Amino acid sequence: MNRLLENAKPYGARSDAAFLAEMNALTQAHLQGCPEYARIWPDFRPAQRVEDLPYLHVGVFKQVDFKTQRPGIQHERVLKPSATTSGQASQIHLDRTSSELQSASSLAILKDFVGEHLRPLLVLDSSASLLARGEISARVAAAMSLRPISTGMHFLLAQANDAQSLKWNLLTNLLEKHDDLLVYGFTWILWQAWAAADWPEDIRQLLQGKRIHFVHSGGWKKLEDSRVAPQTFNASLLHGLHPDSGVTDFYGLVEQVGIIYPACADGYRHVPVWADVLVRDPWTLEPLIGETGQLQLLNCLAQGAPYHSVYTEDLGRIQPGACPCGRSGKRFELLGRVPQAEIRGCANV
Amino acid sequence: MSDPLHYFHSASGPVALALPFDYSQAIQDWASLRSAMLRQVPLEFSPDEWAYLVSFLHPDNLLQPFLSNFGTALEKAPTRISRLYRPRGPIAIWLPNNVSLLGPLGLILLSLCGQPIRMKLGSSAQDLASAFLSYAKAKLPSGALRDYLGSQVTTDRFSRNDPRQAELSQQAQVRLVFGSDQAAAAIDQLPHPLESQGFAFVDRQSEAWLEPAALSEQVLDTLIKVFAIYGQAGCTSPRRVILLDATMAEARQLRDQLLNRWPKRIQTKPAMHSASATLMALHWARALGWDAQATQNNGAMLACGDYGLPSIQAPMALSIQPASKLQALAGLPANIQTLGHALTQPEHPDWLHLLANSQVRRFVPLAQMHHFTSFWDGEEFWRHCFTPMEVRQ
Repeated sequence: MNRLLENAKPYGARSDAAFLAEMNALTQAHLQGCPEYARIWPDFRPAQRVEDLPYLHVGVFKQVDFKTQRPGIQHERVLKPSATTSGQASQIHLDRTSSELQSASSLAILKDFVGEHLRPLLVLDSSASLLARGEISARVAAAMSLRPISTGMHFLLAQANDAQSLKWNLLTNLLEKHDDLLVYGFTWILWQAWAAADWPEDIRQLLQGKRIHFVHSGGWKKLEDSRVAPQTFNASLLHGLHPDSGVTDFYGLVEQVGIIYPACADGYRHVPVWADVLVRDPWTLEPLIGETGQLQLLNCLAQGAPYHSVYTEDLGRIQPGACPCGRSGKRFELLGRVPQAEIRGCANV
Repeated sequence: MSDPLHYFHSASGPVALALPFDYSQAIQDWASLRSAMLRQVPLEFSPDEWAYLVSFLHPDNLLQPFLSNFGTALEKAPTRISRLYRPRGPIAIWLPNNVSLLGPLGLILLSLCGQPIRMKLGSSAQDLASAFLSYAKAKLPSGALRDYLGSQVTTDRFSRNDPRQAELSQQAQVRLVFGSDQAAAAIDQLPHPLESQGFAFVDRQSEAWLEPAALSEQVLDTLIKVFAIYGQAGCTSPRRVILLDATMAEARQLRDQLLNRWPKRIQTKPAMHSASATLMALHWARALGWDAQATQNNGAMLACGDYGLPSIQAPMALSIQPASKLQALAGLPANIQTLGHALTQPEHPDWLHLLANSQVRRFVPLAQMHHFTSFWDGEEFWRHCFTPMEVRQ
């Protein structure tokens, strides 16, 4: 088990030297075991600063099948995004060792935000999503990370991508039996299937006063057309529920599986001690502090492929100083995606 | 009142051309727009696009379709003519879904036929055709051309399932389609008049063939300029450079020279998404075995590699590969459009012998890769907007 994960407290002081040493060792292992990665960074020398560690652009995982071969690493499954707007999907090879670390990581982070007590986990997905052999979708992976703090998982949709296919009987049954629930779904599905859905009045009544913690991820892109503000989103979900109910929106990439960045009450994303976040100038790639740039996400959990340091197409800004929410360590603001422009050219697109 | 006749001397003898207006006046009117255009670039256009349009409207350029298709203009009516050309009839144009100058360029050229034009705009793209049409109607001097643009040229935006799609096809005597292979095939299936003419300008790509002995600073700068305008999104833009009968060391030398010259020639920062895509292309190319470098500010990715390496599809990725002429010929993409050249003897007949065995549509100097006349993708589409009448007097 990774030393930084040993005490399972995600936020607080950490030895930067220890993190750098872990990252240097991990980088070296990937260079030795993954020829495609070694060709990208042929002149690597152990970095003296986190900023000098190699990284891969997030988009290259859609083009190149990275896999690190080394003793003790058993590749088991491929993690795929649930859907992409580009039509091309990243493929992340998961190995047993990394999976254990990643599960421990995401559980530790989620516990810090949603608490540790056990309750039923309602998943806005279809149970059929669990059955694909050798593959796992990002949505199922995220739901599975909540399983250790649940008494059991209940898949609420008959069809994975059909927000209208809610299993009313199952939901009714669960609401009749339990007052405290955990609900996970992709942001757009949670909106369409739950917050904005036209539910039967008797089920609306059953919801009254329940203590529910909603966890969602996957981003807001699919809700852009609906122009749903996060405040509206949260208010719709929490309407009529017990005052201790909550909504946690987390940011994460399949290329950084195991590391999730829930928004704290003050809107910041906190970096766990076994990870790091840098912001780079999009043109010079120089690290930035206090300025907006493209996020680079790093973690020391990824053993089976070199997705331990990924340059994203998300924008952010490192925020210095202590967070009012009380969590210590590095924090950042997530400021959306790199703006895209229409392609200009001839007819050949 | 019949249309005025214009006379030319063609290779097969004197010909007459019937047009609803005086074409030389229309050319002058278009050219007069250039001085207004030089003062301000409308928001819809990039400076490069606008500069290209200004250059395209030069009277010599607009006269070219008449001269190359009908011959030398004659001042007076000849005593006998062998052909009378008259416009075929209404023209329909389907524009692509990306932002493209093809709409304005097609509009300018086809306006010289004087026929009704209906343009179906790409359903999602920013629309340069309407923007240019509005600009021209506002800025042109009053006269036949402005009246024509106001009354006979229309733009529409509707989906592929809209009944107007079939109506557009049925009413046109000339159909021009810009778009994907699938879009062109679907439009070709629409009902259309039996003797109408259809032209499809579909998915094409281009490359540059250079000889080491022909490389000069000017050639390097031209290559940078020609590539940087559109990158891989331009059908006339080189996606790769073939360095003919050269070594890998020469390819690397060319790449390094381009890297050095890029910041002097391209001084604007790329858009953020473009810089990001270039970094992605750099990692992708290196992973596949290319010797790749990014230019300053991640403006472009320049990669050298063996001829057999898989290509890198990214907006600003340019590969440089040494190859023999026969290798280069055999490796041309099936949808090759333009070969831009920088050769010591481009006029040597061997080039034509070589290219006779290819699907290349254009073989032009590097600097002219983006420059079109009335001859697009190897199609005499402008000429086919007219029908000939045989005349024996």
